[in-house]
Amino acid sequence: MSNVLGSGLVDFEKQVKDGAVELLNHIEVGDFSSAIKIIQELSEARHNNFYNEVGYLTRSLHDAIRDFQIDSMDLVVGEGADSANKITDASDRLNYVIETTSSAANKTMDMVDSSVPVASELQTQARELRKDWGRLIQRDLTPQEFRDLYKRIDVFLTYADESATTLHSNLNTILLEQGYQDLTGQVISRVNELIRDVEEKLVHLVAVAGRVDSISGIEHQEKESEQDDTRGHGPSINKQNNPEVLNSQDEVDDLLSSLGF
Amino acid sequence: MKILIVDDFSTMRRIIKNLLRDLGFTNTVEADDGTTALPILQAGTIDFLVTDWNMPGMTGIELLRAVRADEKLKSIPVLMVTAEAKRDQIISAAQAGVNGYVVKPFTAVALKEKIEKIFERIDAAK
Repeated sequence: MSNVLGSGLVDFEKQVKDGAVELLNHIEVGDFSSAIKIIQELSEARHNNFYNEVGYLTRSLHDAIRDFQIDSMDLVVGEGADSANKITDASDRLNYVIETTSSAANKTMDMVDSSVPVASELQTQARELRKDWGRLIQRDLTPQEFRDLYKRIDVFLTYADESATTLHSNLNTILLEQGYQDLTGQVISRVNELIRDVEEKLVHLVAVAGRVDSISGIEHQEKESEQDDTRGHGPSINKQNNPEVLNSQDEVDDLLSSLGF
Repeated sequence: MKILIVDDFSTMRRIIKNLLRDLGFTNTVEADDGTTALPILQAGTIDFLVTDWNMPGMTGIELLRAVRADEKLKSIPVLMVTAEAKRDQIISAAQAGVNGYVVKPFTAVALKEKIEKIFERIDAAK
């Protein structure tokens, strides 16, 4: 692609050089109307060149986005093959990631919430039984207490069996919920591809714009973008390579204690 | 002890709420950013504030500054639980008067430690 882009501008530069020589020749012999005609031709060529390049890049960008959308029609998200669930653009896809991860987190926490009381109840009952079981071993139980314990153990064993089934099923649900990683991973990879594609094409656009600027003599002032800490930056990626970012709670604690905390 | 949990993600609020419950703090309320948190604080029943940094609307650091600037609220202990880990940010949180700073992802132990430390300090100052 860069060759195609480059050639238009190379041709244009050649045209400018040739035109300049011709222009001088015309001026030297006093043929001003031909000279002005050449200036006009050069000006037109400059415009055409610019529009051609921008047009080409716009088409490339459009193609990249269209290709992405066609690809995405293959991906059906959701349980079963509900065709209404087709995700057709990157923003919807990322929203899907947010919803899926949120739903998985909530279902997992639901399962934890329903398991904790079961485990606590098992613990409570087992502790009480063990106390009386100890007395049984010490032969410290009255016949009535023994009959009572006999029944309680039966009840406990049934409860333990049922609890284990509940916990087992909750753990399985938690396991299955982790499938979100696969689904969202695929979606994010696709969006990543689109971003890479678009970025690549934008870099070409910037390169062309730069050359157009250089031949048309336009200068831009570079603005330094300021980072605002107040708004926050979100989780740091590549922490290891950034000396400004602390890598662990320990480092945060050290910094705070150096500040007198 | 009534604790206000401020985070824009409901899952994170739920995690913090569950951890606090395990630590024996069962009385919690929630808000999803500084703008919704301030009126709850101003109602005057909150004893402890746990806040995220990065939130739409009013951020955690702005909320912290607003709390410290408010005569009625300025003594409420504030614990930040956030993914923001830049040196400058932690320094500005300290300067704004944060009482503890926990970076995400965090452990139950880290949260417990920081909360206990904050209460120890408050008790020692009494």
